[in-house]
Amino acid sequence: MKRIQFKALLTIGLMLSAGEGVAQQISDMQLVRTLGRVENAAPAIDVALLVEEATASAGKGVANLPNWQKLSKLSQLILDIEFENDSVAIEPKSYRTVGLIADALHHPNLRRYKFLVVGHTSSTGDAQHNLKLSAQRANAITEALSTTFAIAPDRLYSIGVGEEWPLDAANLKAPENRRVQLINLGLVQ
Amino acid sequence: MTNRRAVFAGTIVLTVLALATVARADTISYADAVSLLANDCGSDIRKYCKGLNLGSGRIQSCLEQNEGKVSPACTVTLANVITSIRQRQAAQSSFATICKHDIAQYCKSVKGEGNVLSCLNKATRVNEGQCGQAIIDAGWR
Repeated sequence: MKRIQFKALLTIGLMLSAGEGVAQQISDMQLVRTLGRVENAAPAIDVALLVEEATASAGKGVANLPNWQKLSKLSQLILDIEFENDSVAIEPKSYRTVGLIADALHHPNLRRYKFLVVGHTSSTGDAQHNLKLSAQRANAITEALSTTFAIAPDRLYSIGVGEEWPLDAANLKAPENRRVQLINLGLVQ
Repeated sequence: MTNRRAVFAGTIVLTVLALATVARADTISYADAVSLLANDCGSDIRKYCKGLNLGSGRIQSCLEQNEGKVSPACTVTLANVITSIRQRQAAQSSFATICKHDIAQYCKSVKGEGNVLSCLNKATRVNEGQCGQAIIDAGWR
């Protein structure tokens, strides 16, 4: 019975995401599968170094973020979590996405791993301000995960990169540049 | 007399079964729980809890502080959502204890929690027992 419900959900999810163009209807099992593909050669990430790099090069773009580029080698996915304008408050319509992350991170396949939440903004507004806001928003997500959903805080890291690493580099103000990356950082020590 | 006793015993069995079914409420996923919150409390949250976040119980305390103003449906849902999240957490943390015996019996040589879970999910005997129910309650099947 459970299995049938799950399949139905998956089908609906795929149909919706095809229609809306945004993969927000993914299930927690898809998250578990995507985030659980861990390569042996995955680079070790020093989160403090990432913060240093981002702070030093606000407004100068991704070319000044050599350590950030290592992140693209890790298992990850991009999520759309909406916030109130210029605020750290997650919009109620995005609560579900945070809940999905919680479902995935509690799954036995992923319980051994730690995760990095990266906040990105579009280029609307001041680069320094965007950097700060993106970090605060990423932190708001990990805070919700570790309190409301009881994910162990030592498995969660948050960081913001502001507008420096756009998905759509030709159109820096594009709303799809506002996004959240969820990255598997490897085994909890 | 014997017949009557048989009927009586049968009634007890049925009652126990019925009670067991009632007592074991299905748990729901974290995503489903907070979706209910967003649906029934979304407009109240936007109205009374502007700028506040989901984490550290802030939305919960804001809605509770504004109990006179938020919709009755939201007040009911809030309490249900908190219970649902707790039940799912309890189910997930009791998995290891409830399944200990089955793990030792069917998946002894399997390493890693994820592999142990898929091993348990493949064992028919496990699916029928308490451990199988624990896996369902944890949302892992």
